[in-house]
Amino acid sequence: MFHWLEKNPFFFAAAISIVISFAGLIEIVPNFTQAGRPLIDMKPRTVLEIAGKNVYMKDNCMACHSQMIRPFKSETDRYGAYSLSGEYAYDRPFLWGSKRTGPDLHRIGNYRTTDWHEAHMLNPPLIVPGSIMPAYDHQFVNLADIETAYAEAVTVKNVFHTPYGPEVRRGREAWEAYKPTLIEEARKIASDMKDPRVIEAMKKGDVPEVVALIAYMNSLK
Amino acid sequence: MQSNASLEYDYSLAKKFTYLTILFGFLGMLVGTLIAAQMAFPELNYLLGEYGTFSRLRPVHTNTVVFGFTVSGIFATWFYLGQRVLKVSLAESRFLMVLGNIQFWLYLVGVLAATVSLVLGYSTSKEYAQYEWPFDIVIILVWVLWGINMMGLIGIRREKALYISVWYYLACFLGIAMLYLFNNMEIPTYFASGGLGNPMHSVSMYSGTNDALVQWWYGHNAVAFGFTVPIVGMIYYFLPKESGQAIYSYKLSLLSFWGLMFVYLWAGSHHLLWTTVPDWMQTMGSAFSIVLILPSWGSAINMLLTMKGEWNQLTENPLIKFMVLASTFYMLSTIEGPIQAIRSVNAIAHFTDWIPGHVHDGVLGWVVFMMMAAIFHMTPRMFKREIYSRKLMEFQFWLQTIAVVLYFTSMWIAGITQGMMWRAVDEYGNLMYSFIETVVILEPYYMIRTLSGVMYLIGFMMFAYNIYKTVTAGRKLSTEPQFRTPMA
Amino acid sequence: MDIREMQGYANFFMTIILVLILYGYIIHLYRSEKKGERDYEKYGKIALDDNITSTPIEDKPASQREYKEQSK
Repeated sequence: MFHWLEKNPFFFAAAISIVISFAGLIEIVPNFTQAGRPLIDMKPRTVLEIAGKNVYMKDNCMACHSQMIRPFKSETDRYGAYSLSGEYAYDRPFLWGSKRTGPDLHRIGNYRTTDWHEAHMLNPPLIVPGSIMPAYDHQFVNLADIETAYAEAVTVKNVFHTPYGPEVRRGREAWEAYKPTLIEEARKIASDMKDPRVIEAMKKGDVPEVVALIAYMNSLK
Repeated sequence: MQSNASLEYDYSLAKKFTYLTILFGFLGMLVGTLIAAQMAFPELNYLLGEYGTFSRLRPVHTNTVVFGFTVSGIFATWFYLGQRVLKVSLAESRFLMVLGNIQFWLYLVGVLAATVSLVLGYSTSKEYAQYEWPFDIVIILVWVLWGINMMGLIGIRREKALYISVWYYLACFLGIAMLYLFNNMEIPTYFASGGLGNPMHSVSMYSGTNDALVQWWYGHNAVAFGFTVPIVGMIYYFLPKESGQAIYSYKLSLLSFWGLMFVYLWAGSHHLLWTTVPDWMQTMGSAFSIVLILPSWGSAINMLLTMKGEWNQLTENPLIKFMVLASTFYMLSTIEGPIQAIRSVNAIAHFTDWIPGHVHDGVLGWVVFMMMAAIFHMTPRMFKREIYSRKLMEFQFWLQTIAVVLYFTSMWIAGITQGMMWRAVDEYGNLMYSFIETVVILEPYYMIRTLSGVMYLIGFMMFAYNIYKTVTAGRKLSTEPQFRTPMA
Repeated sequence: MDIREMQGYANFFMTIILVLILYGYIIHLYRSEKKGERDYEKYGKIALDDNITSTPIEDKPASQREYKEQSK
């Protein structure tokens, strides 16, 4: 019955491919368009928030923090309303995480403020005694890569039709024109911050990583 | 092709990849031990400035172990046993030799560069697929080169029947190729935005829930086709060869093969229980995880029964001990996985330390033990020397076995403790513990885990030393040993 | 009939078909051995006797070999 298959490497390889691709086709394809649909009236992240998301990815916060509130009372009591599929529709990649060494962050913007984050990122155990999270001091020194964040917004707008306005478009000129809007948004965040390095950088028109990161975390609601 | 008396198997590629297996194994475990220690002693996060935090180093650990250690081991054992079960020497084809060497160098440079990029913070944030797009291309190239090499060797084989191990390696090649390709579909933002920003950066082709589904279809099955399929292929060759006993039931091995191929892929969505993926997919993932016990235990029982009537070898030959323990751990983790995939268990286990505990009894107990046994078996044959020290091997075996047991027991307790504390409520229905209370209580378990990491790492260094001394100072052998590996 | 209902039927029938294929394969393996068409267990020896000079278990293309076995 199967013996000819087991003798002929080519057909054998083809058979394996068919058998193993079965599951993916049946599980992933049917819901693909539905699962990618955003909530009604949901806005994509601002460019500054994208820059913050990229800091989140660069320092790999998802190694210890999830962004997925499961539908249990113990979780909704602790973190807020359970997560909905549509809330993630603009997330590329998804950042659900798989381990909670620290708490879930999906609605952190509802109950933490800019200055809480600032103090916490500088010295977590000072704010949360017993915390094993390391300090992220370098985020106050390194500058956020806002140009790459803009490039990302342009990419998702052009390729995936993420609804950004006409100010987000290809090329360096468009970016230079957009930049002041972004700096203004960052200033609003930084105005609640005290660290001299942040104040100094913002004066020069730079955006430290921590400012972008806080903008992103404040947007998680 | 005429058979030629002076013809010999060519082990040069197997040797090269064996060195890499040991090198990447050491690096991966070193970083792993460091990040385990960081959870017990947070001050250790500041050793290397921004490049030394737990969060940066975790993907370095996982990717070095997956794409460095395991993949080198797969290549090394393939270039060894592939020739032998097909009864054809790589030296018979200049083309395949050249191809193999290109594969080796491209792989070495690619993985080292990718590791550095992770330390620098270039990451796509999809677990076990964190490499950014330029390195994905290198990995795919290496993989294609290996595929051509494998197909080429099969094409010029003398033994027309394909031994079961070859099936598993073929499946490993095809499976990883498909999974890696689809999960790493990404668009470099630099090119899509008219030359803005960092050229390394990319965005995923899929978003949100879809991205999660594709990722865990990949994540789960990278384990299937990287940590299970090729390792089963290894044990189906090395255990019979080392013990001189043919596989207990070849028919059962065929049956489990097709079973594993079909069932494994469905179970990916059990990583997403209680999330926003549709319920029917979650149920499917749970159900197939339970079904998966059958083909997994089919292989494992087949391995154990191969030793039927020859259990005395367990005391006489430490290599048999390594392989029998590996199959036992395989049984343990393939029953543990399905248990965690039951919805109600998953509600407690997910997001806790039980998950890394499960991963590590599989990887430390099954993958690494089998791979070390394979290298112990291959080295005397590749270098024509006796194993340097049997005593060292015995000691290493017990040290590492205790280390694995410490690892998973501490993480079981830690995981279940934390899972239960997160959901504990008082008589009025209020949460009983703040989050930080559930972290502080885990400290002793994190310390036990650090200890087990150090023990395992020392065991691996003893292994590396033993191999090094075998290659340089082992007693020379005049003929190739038939079954049992000679050791001093 | 909406997609969920179709999935339900598909699931039911697929389960039955898969069980049939599984048992069909097992029966096939044992029957072909019993009838002497094929000895699967001899392939286990490929791992044991794997010198480059040793005689392959099967060294002719499948089609010719099967013909020979049947005519025996």
